[in-house]
Amino acid sequence: MSSTTTRTRLVRGTGRKRSRRELLVAAGFLAPFLIILAVFQYVPVVLLIKNSLLSYTLINPDLQTFVGLENFARIFSDPGALQTIGVTLIFAVGMVVLIIPLGFLLATYLNQPLPGRGILRTAVFLPVITSSVVVATLWNFLLANEGLVNAVLNSLGFGTASFLTDQALALPSIIIMSVWQQVGMAAILYLGGLQSIPGDVMEASVLDGAGGLKRTFLIVIPLLSRTTVMVVVIMTVFALQSFTPAYVMTKGAPGGTTNLLVYEIYKQAFTLQDPGFASALSVLLLVGAITISLVQMRLLRTRWDY
Amino acid sequence: MTQLTSQRVSDDAGAGGGAGGNGDKTGRSRVPTRLWQRIWTTVVVIAILMAFVLPYEWMFVSGLKSQSSIFADISPLSWKTFVPLAVTFENLEELFVDRGVGRALLNSFLVAAFQVVASLILCTLAAYALTRIAFKGRNAVFAVILATFMLPAEALVVPLYQLISAMSLQDTLIAVGVPWIASAFGLFLLRQSFEAVPLELDEAAKLDGAGHFRIFWSVILPVVRVDLVTFVLMIFLFSWNAFLWPLVAIQSTENTLVQVAVAQSVSPGALPNWGLTFAGASVATIPLLILFIFLQRLFIPGLARSGLK
Repeated sequence: MSSTTTRTRLVRGTGRKRSRRELLVAAGFLAPFLIILAVFQYVPVVLLIKNSLLSYTLINPDLQTFVGLENFARIFSDPGALQTIGVTLIFAVGMVVLIIPLGFLLATYLNQPLPGRGILRTAVFLPVITSSVVVATLWNFLLANEGLVNAVLNSLGFGTASFLTDQALALPSIIIMSVWQQVGMAAILYLGGLQSIPGDVMEASVLDGAGGLKRTFLIVIPLLSRTTVMVVVIMTVFALQSFTPAYVMTKGAPGGTTNLLVYEIYKQAFTLQDPGFASALSVLLLVGAITISLVQMRLLRTRWDY
Repeated sequence: MTQLTSQRVSDDAGAGGGAGGNGDKTGRSRVPTRLWQRIWTTVVVIAILMAFVLPYEWMFVSGLKSQSSIFADISPLSWKTFVPLAVTFENLEELFVDRGVGRALLNSFLVAAFQVVASLILCTLAAYALTRIAFKGRNAVFAVILATFMLPAEALVVPLYQLISAMSLQDTLIAVGVPWIASAFGLFLLRQSFEAVPLELDEAAKLDGAGHFRIFWSVILPVVRVDLVTFVLMIFLFSWNAFLWPLVAIQSTENTLVQVAVAQSVSPGALPNWGLTFAGASVATIPLLILFIFLQRLFIPGLARSGLK
């Protein structure tokens, strides 16, 4: 900013002209990005809201009827839709509840001078960069009746568990899979948090005679509350958007216990040809995700000046 | 996602855990406790490594086995489970010769390359305007862009499908990549690194008579080139691993992307060909794995900021 004033001062009166020129240049730099953003982000949001008020098919989209809020009313009366919401919420809560302590523990571990720490960190992070399809494919075979996990169980003298077809085990199984997939992410975030704690805070606590556990619970965990909020939000949004486990491993079965919301949206729109209802479910997802992000910003009192 | 600016995510293995670590300065170590602690630590490290590495090892190895030897080697569990005794390339051969996985890999690569190049152009230009040009409403523009950060991509699949149909882009590789090239995450990443470049550099260039494009091209971009590599890796990663949208946007076999091809070879209920599916999953993973192992230092800070977009 200061650089522009040095030059404008040379010629009086051209200030306004110059700032208009700057605006034009800025518009030129921003236009490609903003046009694409408008077309592929904002237009779809508007379309989505419009579609959620319609009843139509993707095969013949011109044949549509305006049904008002009927699609939304259906969400709360349709047992299948209610189940999918319940399943998704349990999935999200289960994932967060497991990933917070595990991620924190891993980070504390990785923050020590360990033998092979670099390799450990790489290993824990591998699933984070692996596609959800490959993770789901791999776990499909790990958890199959003839799979690796059952082979381990059998060799330890346990019976075979039908992880993906038993109603009581299917959702917990995909929760554990997702924790395995994302715990490296949580650990890296916590590691960043741990390394940002000033050394003198820790030294003071040692001088005050705080032992390892006491220090962890009274000093480290409260100091990392920002990181925890962030991990909770990232994992919740990840869970709400999960689709692949249901598509690749279970098709929502057994008994709809793994019928994740996005899988239900996909099915309603593209298999059952009811994109209006799928849009209503998508609006719900959109509102949920935005609410979580806003709550996060509030909790972290983030100013908008990134 | 801002918070991370203040928390430096160290990706340096040797960075010695400054604070939170094991600052056991009190009490000279009694040797037995130390020893037990060491044994315990080693056991935990090995257990964690096994939990994360063994599944991959099993996947890669089983891709080199025939269906019957996968099953024979797993029950009972033994060292054979993790070693390919009779290596066969028939799975890979079937994948590339009969199933067209080479084509799927190429398609995935083309989409990723397009996404990387296009978003690099869009995001660097936009980041320049947002950090280097003073104009009214700059913060408002940034807010409009950042707001899309909160939109879950998965919720937009139905209207996006409608949109690309209206543009007659159905079943094209362009349609797979184009919705994501104006990446709010990418812009956010670049805006931070552009901001770190001292304004004095611009001023010096301006005195030499350089215009904005000149400053953008010959002053800013060379300075931030390391961050540009992180950016490229992130976009490549997101593109390569994407699944739902490529599944919806592409219908024909010849335009299928590799993740979709892998997903469709596993079908619940039916008995899939394990060796073949493992080989496919391996092939879909190896390119990224290699990139990651060699460029970890550039990956991790980027991903940590991504909030998994």
